Amino acid sequence: MIRCEDVLREVSNYIDTEVTEDLRHQIEEHLRGCHNCTVLVSTTRKTVSLLSSSRILELPSDVSQRLMQRLAVHWS
Amino acid sequence: MKPEPNGDLSQASDEELVRLVCLGKRELFGHLVGRYQRSVYHIVQGILGNPADSEEVLQESFLKALQHIGGFRGEAQFRTWLTRIAINEARMRLRKYRPKLHDSIDEAPEEGMDMRPRELRDWQPNPEEKLAEAELARLLEKAIRALPSIYREVLVLRDLEHLSNEEAAQALGISLPATKARLLRARLMMRDYLTPHFQHRWHHRLLDRFAQLRRHP
Ligand SMILES: [Zn+2]
Repeated sequence: MIRCEDVLREVSNYIDTEVTEDLRHQIEEHLRGCHNCTVLVSTTRKTVSLLSSSRILELPSDVSQRLMQRLAVHWS
Repeated sequence: MKPEPNGDLSQASDEELVRLVCLGKRELFGHLVGRYQRSVYHIVQGILGNPADSEEVLQESFLKALQHIGGFRGEAQFRTWLTRIAINEARMRLRKYRPKLHDSIDEAPEEGMDMRPRELRDWQPNPEEKLAEAELARLLEKAIRALPSIYREVLVLRDLEHLSNEEAAQALGISLPATKARLLRARLMMRDYLTPHFQHRWHHRLLDRFAQLRRHP
């Protein structure tokens, strides 16, 4: 029987599907009866997906141009 | 694949390009820059959080990679090797210019810290719809900057750059379990930071309910 602390420790691996089949079943069993952990998993998953889909820290085109200019000195 | 010397190299593998650069076709390094400049910029921006520093470190990382390309032996992927250079350059910059501000890269506790999330309130169903794209990007950047640097590094590598845990561990020069432990902490901290912006608010739920009642009395 796994506890909330175990879910907390594994939530990141669980989202990445990097837990064993057995552990995954145990976590899912626990989630069915635990609102707190269900919220934890869904909001952590959403955090990860916001990060993956957002366009943050974009490379500005002038930065890219200056990079190429500086490097090109070394091969021309 | 073995592209002809003057053929189309946009499809060539990284390793093939590296081989040709080492043979003296140094201009082909430009293809590798094109492939990874965004990624390296993400990483150094993620670590430094300052566009001016990030631009310099971006340039220095690629210069260093070009200078040392003969030392790339192919025991890691080129991308991982390059990422490692960029991380080291960014860390050096942090130490050099902000010795006081810089939060310790090596000394932060890995275990034993209380990780229990403070907020267990649920989020709205579609948080990304609440904010405009640019606004969301600003919020996420702020949240990333608020993380201690060891967590920022791993989060950027895994969740922005989509390196595997193994690649991230190699690039950071730490063990796989340490990588996963840091990633867990980083994601939980991000989640805590974002929760107040996205949580269901009881008075909103009440207003929604009220609006429904008025539409369908
Ligand atoms: Zn629970």
